[in-house]
Amino acid sequence: MNIKTTSKTSYDFYLILATTIVLFAISVVCIYGMFYFKYAKVHEMAPIVKAAYMNRMNIFVAPFFVVLILLLGICVPKRLLPARWLNFFALFLVVAAGVISFMYSVKIALLVCLVVSLALQTVVLFMACAGSQTLSFEKKGYWIRVGSSLVHLGLILFILDLFLHRHHVLHLVLFWITTGSTVLGMFFCFYSEAVARLIGGRKEI
Amino acid sequence: MNTIIHDIEYFSVAGRYVMAGLLILSFSAGFLGLINLFRQRPLLERPSGFLLIAANMVFAAGFIIICWFHYQIYTSLPLELSGNISGWINQQLSAINSRSAYALPLYDVGAPPRYFIPVWIENEKYYFWFMCYSVMALMGHYRLPNHRLRAVLHILLFVQVLFLFFGADPFSKPLPRFFGEISPWFQGGVSSMNRMGLFMRLYPKMIFYYNAHYMWFHPPLLFLAYACITITFVTSGFMLFRRELGIEKMGYDFAKFGYFMLTLGMLLGYPWALQAWGPNWWWDPKICSSIMMWALYSTYLHTRLYANKRGMWYFSSVLGILCFAAMIFTFVSSFYFPGEHTFQ
Repeated sequence: MNIKTTSKTSYDFYLILATTIVLFAISVVCIYGMFYFKYAKVHEMAPIVKAAYMNRMNIFVAPFFVVLILLLGICVPKRLLPARWLNFFALFLVVAAGVISFMYSVKIALLVCLVVSLALQTVVLFMACAGSQTLSFEKKGYWIRVGSSLVHLGLILFILDLFLHRHHVLHLVLFWITTGSTVLGMFFCFYSEAVARLIGGRKEI
Repeated sequence: MNTIIHDIEYFSVAGRYVMAGLLILSFSAGFLGLINLFRQRPLLERPSGFLLIAANMVFAAGFIIICWFHYQIYTSLPLELSGNISGWINQQLSAINSRSAYALPLYDVGAPPRYFIPVWIENEKYYFWFMCYSVMALMGHYRLPNHRLRAVLHILLFVQVLFLFFGADPFSKPLPRFFGEISPWFQGGVSSMNRMGLFMRLYPKMIFYYNAHYMWFHPPLLFLAYACITITFVTSGFMLFRRELGIEKMGYDFAKFGYFMLTLGMLLGYPWALQAWGPNWWWDPKICSSIMMWALYSTYLHTRLYANKRGMWYFSSVLGILCFAAMIFTFVSSFYFPGEHTFQ
């Protein structure tokens, strides 16, 4: 993956900037959690107090995860849709999430976002594997596209897996699928030229 | 136990030579590096490369000695119980297993449990970490003919060996925590009751910590990532002063490999944590700092894609330096913050 030479500000750039800000905010919450844990001596407290601490931290980080999931929800269809349609889709997703949150709960709204993202990302992965040129990727190259699709699929599955942490067996099975998808995706993405040389057939651009 | 006492003596004597060799070689490379850092033209470049190769060879020899020592622990220190005690122990283990999601293997008199300890625990983790850095510094040295970059790589190696020599020598007092834990077991005159109690204390830790197969993957992948982050830190520092694509490319290549190792290492720690600690470890300080480091590293890799935009070259360089600071913070947090990962 080379540095972009274009100076034109793209949709991708702003999405990456927004993701960066959210990741930074999550980092700040993490640092707060560390100091709180030490000074409140959470480790010396009863399990019920520990559970309360974990719940409180989950509440603090939840809004940023909501934004991250929404960003993911917008990020995924950008491969399939042109920019104008993507704006409509983003607006629709935010409104739908708001309505579902109001009618049912935030958790269900997020689950809907994740399931929609998962379905779309699976379509993107199949199209990338088939070598479709209609997909809109910032990067050229077959293995980079397949790798990027796998990494994003892994990320969606990981967040979905967090919702299922009480279902022990399913949680672990999904976790290993997540790990496989992410690791394979990173390998294809970072070492696309080597993979292309190794497997042959397709030339990486 | 007597056999292992002799092995410890051999280990310490051999280790003394390894550490002295490392100190001499890295000091020479670091000293040459310091001179080269302030010179316009490179001085004694070939010999400094040879010094780095020699340091790597000494590191490898020391690592082989550590592996040999761990093999001696495996063969010499089984947790042996007499037949009548083992029956009672197996009853206890069965009772524990019936209430737990992860079972402890029952005691087999014919094959008593043995310590199969990974070669990166206690002070050995620093040795492994700095050895990884040494290999990567060598790769960096021969990849780019930039004498100042090489100089900084050499100086950092010397700093790490200095820390290893004076603060974390794995050879002078081998595995003090491990031997502190198991020495009561191998001392004579322990009553059967105390022996059973000791076994029930040592055995779960042996299974879920020392012998856990995750220990063979989770820590070394993270140390490999730490070594890569150190190289990226050096290249990011250079990027602040010079807009040189070769250095940026080298930093990015190490960052990619480091991120790959870090993500894989963190992911492999997850099922292990569930097995060893149960579900109540989220928001542990070390987990928080690791997530923070990973988030920063992800940000660095994303911004680097746009490094040609105005200001992004410097922003991504600063992030590369911040990743290093986050790595140090994450590692040091294990000593300062309490929790499941603490070294306190």
